[in-house]
Amino acid sequence: MKPALSRRSVLKGAGVGLSLPWLEAMAATPSAKPPVRLAALYMPNGVNVDSWIPKGRGRDWELSKTLSPLESLKNQVTVVSNLWNANSKGGDGHYVKEAAILTCSTIKKTPGADIGNGVSVDQMAAQSVADQTPLPSLELGVTPVAIGVDAVVGYTRVYGSHIAWSNATTPLAREINPRSVYERLFRAASGQSNNSAKMDTLLLDRVMGDANRLRGQVGAADRIRIDEYMSLMRSLEQRVQRASAGTQRTWKARAPMDPKATPPEKPADHAEHVRLMMDMIATAFQTDTTRVATFMFGNAVSNVSFRFLEGVSAGHHDVSHHSKEADKLRQYQLINQWHIAQYAYLLQRLSEMKEGDSTVLDNSMVLFASALSDGNSHNPHRLPIVLGGRGGGRIDSGQHLVYTEDDPLANLYVSMLDAFGAPVERFADSTGPLAGLLKS
Amino acid sequence: MAKRLLFAALLTAASLPAQYTFPQAQAFLKQYCEKCHQDQAPAGGFRLSRVADPASLTSDATKWLSLTNRVKNGEMPPKGAPAPPIDAKEKFGEFVQEAVHTAACATGVAPGRSLIRRLNRNEYAATVRDLLDMHMDLAKSFPTDGAGGEGFDNAAETLFLSPLHSEKYLEVAKFAVEFAAKEYKSRARIFVAKPGPGVTPDQAARKIFDVFLPRAFRRPVTEAETTPYIELFRAAQKQGETFDNAILFALRGVLVSPNFLFRVETPNLSSEPKPIDNYALASRLSYFLWGSMPDELLTDLAAKGKLQDPEVLRQIVRIMLRNDRSVDFAQSFVEQWLHTRELSGDKAPDAKLFPEFTKDEDLRSDIRYQPVLFFREVFLQNLSLTNFLDSKHSIGTSKLAKHFGLKLALRPNQTSQPHWIELPENSNRGGLLGMPAVLSVSSYPYRTSPVLRGAWVLESILGTPPPPPPANVPPLEEAPAGKAPGTMKERLAQHRNNAVCASCHSRIDPFGFALENYDVTGKWRTEDGGKPIDASAELLDGTRFDGPAEMRKVLMERKDLFVRHLTNKMLGYALGRGLNIKDSCTVDAIVAKVKQNNYRGQTLLEEIVLSVPFRQQAGTPPAKEPAKK
Repeated sequence: MKPALSRRSVLKGAGVGLSLPWLEAMAATPSAKPPVRLAALYMPNGVNVDSWIPKGRGRDWELSKTLSPLESLKNQVTVVSNLWNANSKGGDGHYVKEAAILTCSTIKKTPGADIGNGVSVDQMAAQSVADQTPLPSLELGVTPVAIGVDAVVGYTRVYGSHIAWSNATTPLAREINPRSVYERLFRAASGQSNNSAKMDTLLLDRVMGDANRLRGQVGAADRIRIDEYMSLMRSLEQRVQRASAGTQRTWKARAPMDPKATPPEKPADHAEHVRLMMDMIATAFQTDTTRVATFMFGNAVSNVSFRFLEGVSAGHHDVSHHSKEADKLRQYQLINQWHIAQYAYLLQRLSEMKEGDSTVLDNSMVLFASALSDGNSHNPHRLPIVLGGRGGGRIDSGQHLVYTEDDPLANLYVSMLDAFGAPVERFADSTGPLAGLLKS
Repeated sequence: MAKRLLFAALLTAASLPAQYTFPQAQAFLKQYCEKCHQDQAPAGGFRLSRVADPASLTSDATKWLSLTNRVKNGEMPPKGAPAPPIDAKEKFGEFVQEAVHTAACATGVAPGRSLIRRLNRNEYAATVRDLLDMHMDLAKSFPTDGAGGEGFDNAAETLFLSPLHSEKYLEVAKFAVEFAAKEYKSRARIFVAKPGPGVTPDQAARKIFDVFLPRAFRRPVTEAETTPYIELFRAAQKQGETFDNAILFALRGVLVSPNFLFRVETPNLSSEPKPIDNYALASRLSYFLWGSMPDELLTDLAAKGKLQDPEVLRQIVRIMLRNDRSVDFAQSFVEQWLHTRELSGDKAPDAKLFPEFTKDEDLRSDIRYQPVLFFREVFLQNLSLTNFLDSKHSIGTSKLAKHFGLKLALRPNQTSQPHWIELPENSNRGGLLGMPAVLSVSSYPYRTSPVLRGAWVLESILGTPPPPPPANVPPLEEAPAGKAPGTMKERLAQHRNNAVCASCHSRIDPFGFALENYDVTGKWRTEDGGKPIDASAELLDGTRFDGPAEMRKVLMERKDLFVRHLTNKMLGYALGRGLNIKDSCTVDAIVAKVKQNNYRGQTLLEEIVLSVPFRQQAGTPPAKEPAKK
């Protein structure tokens, strides 16, 4: 455990603008066991399979070409091969797969009226610690929600734009503006003055009274919407109280945020945009503003142009349909590797964040996944998956774990929830924990 | 639903087989489905006997449609089982759609249920703007909304709430009210009373809320509903806040209230459809044609009960179109219908390949607004809807003229402002398909694609989207390894030599070929990669055309398909929900009126506003506490 002094020295870098509650928070940071964090990074369009799979297995393995950016982190990652997501079979090539990457459920085919999926693993985790941090979870991305309904396959594009689902019918909205994420984190972490929190609480309380009256006047279906509204406002009220500066404050930031590190509102390009979002996840985890985050590199069927990469001349989805052409496969691999490099950047940052004798990465699980293996064939078998971090020491990292083709992805989530401290008997179609992932 | 009717009809010269009958449909099911769907334990729990009786077309219409969709999309019969040939599938599909439609309409039109919905981010921003009379676009403070129903982000079913929304509502309310407090006009809107001799602070506050709350909630407000806000005002005063600040604090509460954030219509607790109340109708009108709250005129007409008068409604449509706020409607509808909203994102032409486009912000803005302003003018001037397919007019600016390489008759002194112009002869710019916004969004950022453009025309213009590609058949657009790439056309020809691909691509590609004269940014070109453009194409029915001008004529011959599609889209947008079978009967009636009236734009809007689903709501039994499971 670090002495208080070194924490203060961290504070020096924080510059002006930090208010008293901050200092209080820092001084009072308990030496309790660091919390476990969980993030999931989702890459659309699958991978060039041949360049993805590492050689060897167990502890005797080599990173593949695509995974090479993880070289310096090899002991802190676990590559998980061959799992599949049975419930995302059928339907169409993308929406069914991508919306189910964290839910392992079959989405309902609909242009919108009866949307349905399962609860996602990140939200299972978030819900278990909802009362412990200022923000329940962070949902991030770099592209807006895809518009419209895909008239060809008959799914609303809402499916392809959301991987975090708080319940079967509620996809969680994402933020794509890095500055607004930073401000949100900062506001949440700094809390409000006592008086302002008290007034906000009062305001929400009265508004809730108004909502309750309305609730009594509407029909059954509409009542569900009002109930959703009320439950969100109620939890907002609790979060306002939790992070207020006064005696009600039960949460303390684990590290300060630099108020001058505000990122630009409009990043120069796709690459900078992604990096900034990685920074936001790192900051959120380091400060303990939230313990759960999801990030989408793109929506399902994303055709973001990767011409900014040397040697790539087309868009992501376009290239993923490589028809086994050598040149397209080469470009596909470059795009995959670029994604892994961004992932490695996040892991690296977390590994540089000291937390007592460990690092934030040691206390995290950062999943990297795509919902397809080969984008050319839309196959949810042999999914490309890497898990970074040691989950608070529970994960036996530094391995290449190879399973059979019938082992469900959901088993990974059972083990991750266990390491997170939110154990479940079953998750979707799981058949048990993922053998070999957690230390026995 | 009904918009999917005519995929085949379009390209086979509307030659529906003379008489496809119910027994033929039964024979089709027997041949391809009976093996798995008839025992005691049928696959998927679906037994053919359920749809054996013609009466099931009415009583089990949803089942009929869902099974037809699965057949059409190639999900059924499953892999390995004998699959019907594509034309047998289509004949079956068309028969079912038509039969279900006819059966549903035989009992007349009917409205849907009223659905509570939150304001989407654009509606929220516009409503706060109008409520507080201030100029500040708050939309970007919120996450983008997904779309449902007919493809719009105002569909009740996909307007979800996230924890992020709750935070933003609280935060933006504070920001908006503080901003308004500094604006003269906004203050005047809010502070309609002040405490003073003979007026207590409480009395003044009540006066203020009596004016503000009905505007914010878009309906009359009871005294009980005012109480929480009076309490907020008092609490702030107790904290030592000034009168003004205490009022502003309470207004923050109003902006977070579900009565403000949601559109709520008084439920119809009877079992019969009945007209929605006057204020709900005022809101339906204003959110349809303005994307914002009702103004004083609409509220006044609602208060006097005049909105139920068809003649008043017709006039109101024209009045609302003339208001500047109808630009918001045009933008919201057009950019989602045509997908041009994506022009600022992934679909933007590549900056390195098209620097002249990327660097010129004015040009990009002119391109983006061209279809929006054109759309508004067609309705404002009450022109024929066929102008969207081909037109002697367009929206022009000097930048657009340069981009087109044309001399446009622009208004002197206004050449940088987009405005209505007459196009020169043979300009190749008439209709939506001559507009760069449309041509870009249906291309890759780095090259054109006849497949994407062809599919775009089928989906967005004709409302007959192609079926999904069969599983495991990847697009085949590049040259095979080792072979020099030919023209796009030569490459696509390979596509159509493969029977599986050909079944759809011979329908998708032709419209795309004809548009090859436009590059990614919509510029005119006569060659690509050093080879002359071949913009000739042939539809399945043998119709041939060469280039965009001839293609427009072909589309004009299919104008009824287009008008039906536009009507579906517009009704879905107006109602803010997906359309159902019953709605397709309303669409029939509207389309008939529009045709009768020479396809005039305002007829479409008027008939929508006068329609049963727009003015009425279905009955819903009173809400019960959730039943125990």
